[in-house]
Amino acid sequence: MSFEIRQISTTADGREIVRSATSEKTQISIGRSSENDIHLQDLAVDPKHAEIEQLGNRRIRVRATGTLGFDIDGKPTLDAEIDASKGAELRFGGHRITVSPGDGDGVVLTVQRVEAVSDASEEKDEVRSFSLASTMLGKRPLAWALAVFVLLAFLAVPITSYLLRPAEDTRNIYEVMKQKGPGEDHVFGDASWSSGPLSKAHHALEGKCESCHEKAFVSVRDTACKTCHEKVHDHAPIERIRKAPGDMGIGRQVLASIGEMFGRPGVGACATCHIEHEGAGPMLATPQAFCTDCHSSLSERLTDTKIGDASDFGEAHPEFRPTVQVTPGKHPRFDRVSLAKKPTDDSGLKFPHDVHLSKTGGVAQMGRRLSEEYGFGDALACSDCHKPTSDGVRFQPVDMKRDCQMCHSLGFEMVDGTTRTLRHGQPDQVIADLRAYYRSTGPAVPIQLGGMSRRRPGNYADGKVHHAYFGAVAARPNGADAAIAAVFSEGGACYDCHTITPPGVADNASWSVLPVHQTSRFFTKGWFDHKAHDTEDCESCHSAPTSKLATDLLLPDLKSCRDCHGGENSNTDVPSGCALCHSYHMGDEAPWVSNAGVARPREETK
Amino acid sequence: MATKASHIPRQKGETLHDGFLRHAGFKWAKIAGGLSLVVIVTYLLIDVTPRHNGGSWYGYTLGTIGLGLIVWLTMLGVRKRKMTDGRWSLKAWTSAHVYLGLSLIVIGTMHTGFQLGWNVHTLAWALMMLVILSGMYGIWMYATLPQALSNNREEMTQGQMLDGLRAIDRQLHDAAQPLTAQQASLVRLSLEEDPFGGGLWARLTGRYRNCATHAAQAGMRQWTGSQPDTGNDPLERVDALLEKKQALLAQLRRHLRLRALLEIWLYIHVPATFALLAALTAHIISVFFYW
Repeated sequence: MSFEIRQISTTADGREIVRSATSEKTQISIGRSSENDIHLQDLAVDPKHAEIEQLGNRRIRVRATGTLGFDIDGKPTLDAEIDASKGAELRFGGHRITVSPGDGDGVVLTVQRVEAVSDASEEKDEVRSFSLASTMLGKRPLAWALAVFVLLAFLAVPITSYLLRPAEDTRNIYEVMKQKGPGEDHVFGDASWSSGPLSKAHHALEGKCESCHEKAFVSVRDTACKTCHEKVHDHAPIERIRKAPGDMGIGRQVLASIGEMFGRPGVGACATCHIEHEGAGPMLATPQAFCTDCHSSLSERLTDTKIGDASDFGEAHPEFRPTVQVTPGKHPRFDRVSLAKKPTDDSGLKFPHDVHLSKTGGVAQMGRRLSEEYGFGDALACSDCHKPTSDGVRFQPVDMKRDCQMCHSLGFEMVDGTTRTLRHGQPDQVIADLRAYYRSTGPAVPIQLGGMSRRRPGNYADGKVHHAYFGAVAARPNGADAAIAAVFSEGGACYDCHTITPPGVADNASWSVLPVHQTSRFFTKGWFDHKAHDTEDCESCHSAPTSKLATDLLLPDLKSCRDCHGGENSNTDVPSGCALCHSYHMGDEAPWVSNAGVARPREETK
Repeated sequence: MATKASHIPRQKGETLHDGFLRHAGFKWAKIAGGLSLVVIVTYLLIDVTPRHNGGSWYGYTLGTIGLGLIVWLTMLGVRKRKMTDGRWSLKAWTSAHVYLGLSLIVIGTMHTGFQLGWNVHTLAWALMMLVILSGMYGIWMYATLPQALSNNREEMTQGQMLDGLRAIDRQLHDAAQPLTAQQASLVRLSLEEDPFGGGLWARLTGRYRNCATHAAQAGMRQWTGSQPDTGNDPLERVDALLEKKQALLAQLRRHLRLRALLEIWLYIHVPATFALLAALTAHIISVFFYW
């Protein structure tokens, strides 16, 4: 029995060289030291690593002598018995020793280095090792992963959710607010599609895109808006609106025609002017351009229009056309007349502003006398007679009792300290009251008859006095006619302010007063807010101190307004788009943008 | 390749050493610069109401130009795999790719009208910017790193560097044979260290905190440090070899770092491009889905 030890080594060009040696020892040693029978140049092997002992009948025993073991057929162990005729494979560090039967009862141990000396010595893919590819996920898988993720998250998920959403219509904003949440009853994941936050008014609809975007690939329709905005009326008949736009420039025209090709509603649709997703806060004011698209040259296309062309308040805007009272009376006639024609407004009253606002003269003096009671200044001011409405936008009609009567008294008799006054606004009652007064009162009683009147000197007979007095008493009621005529005639209380028609003129049975109508809003197509202008003096716009006649129309003209106001993009104190004064969906209330976005420069600089 | 190219007559105006940046006298730089200028000027002059955004006619125009450019720029990936020369040489194509790509900063940003938010539209813009910025970084690296790379190599090829390392490893292995098991295990640590290991961060920074060779030498010095060098102590030989290996590793690692810096941008540029194409698709579909 012997050991045949075959050492296999590989040359640089890959050829194998086998060196064979036979040992007759019954026990051989394995280790890194050169004195071992099997000398393994392997740092993973102990200097004296193991011993192999013959047990006879081709059986051997392998025993580790140190603490390091070895592998037998892949299993680590410290001690093993092997039947060489069946064979086995041992592993010491980077070396493999194959046990096989030799001639006779010999055992062959084939020793081969199977591991490279070092990691660097192993075969390396040079191109890959030196590039970053060896440390990174490849560009291609990374590209695919990212692309698929983006498509899934931002396209597949929202579209799937959209297709699976409940069919019931939840478009009303009030219904929407009751909704449960994304994925449950509205689309999930489409928030990432929103190009910007919704305006304050539509905030509740945030993330509930399908409230307005009703159908896929169909642009927002008016029906979506009208679900909530039920009462908004059209600006004009839609046929006229369609005809109205002028040249919008090649770019917008091309876009409009492409939009039209895909069924996008064009001019006149809500979304054309009301643009959403432009940021939180108030909805963007409709820019001037949306009005001037049509109105800058509307007369060219709608030849029958009565509206003047306007493209910019500062540069091209027709002169104001206030609604003025042309004929006063019970059935007054109103007309819209351009301020360029210097129209007058006849309310039926007589009133010289200049006299009342004069700093000198009787009116001012009377005002000073009454200043303690009524708070007048050195002279009368506008606000002494003109009281604003509660919203401050306009002024209340001047009221005789409140605003005039402290000076223009209608008192005619004092009864026990109480002044009886004629009833304002009721000429018939005035006449009746005067007649009753003359009927119920007598002339002054002479002293002879127990009165306080002084007796005339001379021999005036008592009888004559008696006769004269009672004659006067008898004639007293007839004096009423003269008093009535005096009140209604020049110098009388009514005549100073009112236009009076005496009896007998124009089929008039009695004295009559022309009904007065005070206009509270002259500009019916535009909006003017006095409160917004309260930093200004009244006189800066209304030239009342020099007005002699009540029919003077004291409205400022276009030029006067342009002192401060200019077009939307002007450098004036107050750049003003159309929507500052005009409303597309015109009603009695202020244009909805009226107070928004208008700086009040004078106040701010204070 | 080089010999073949020398037979092809040069194109008019083409000089031999023009890189893609200087190609044809900065022709594409001028075209792209002009394009950007036109876009900026028209953006300022054209009065889009109420404000500039992607939905105006001007916005759609810029968006269409941008989309076309992005798709065309992506095609460089296809084009570069087919080398030709002449007017549409790969160099001309690359030059156009770089400069038109830069002009996308202007076109894409003006398309947004500066309306950015947390949405898929801005995602597309951000990815576009990421692609462009990574490309700019790449060009900068291409302009500056090859010199450093060449200096560091000291006339050695990558294969030679690796072979040098292998030679030292073999010597180390042999020299360590007489060592005790404890000492041998230290040497083994160094031998078994993957010179290309360490991961992305180590590659980019060139800092290898857990360098086994360094640890092995430090361990070895515990024995050699206190003894005089007699000249025939195997430990001294191993120590010297470990020092040589460290020097070689340092050079290799500098090389790897420079190469990593040279290559890393493509790992952003290319995947971000594909993410951008996906985001663009989502952007365009979503815009018209909820028109």
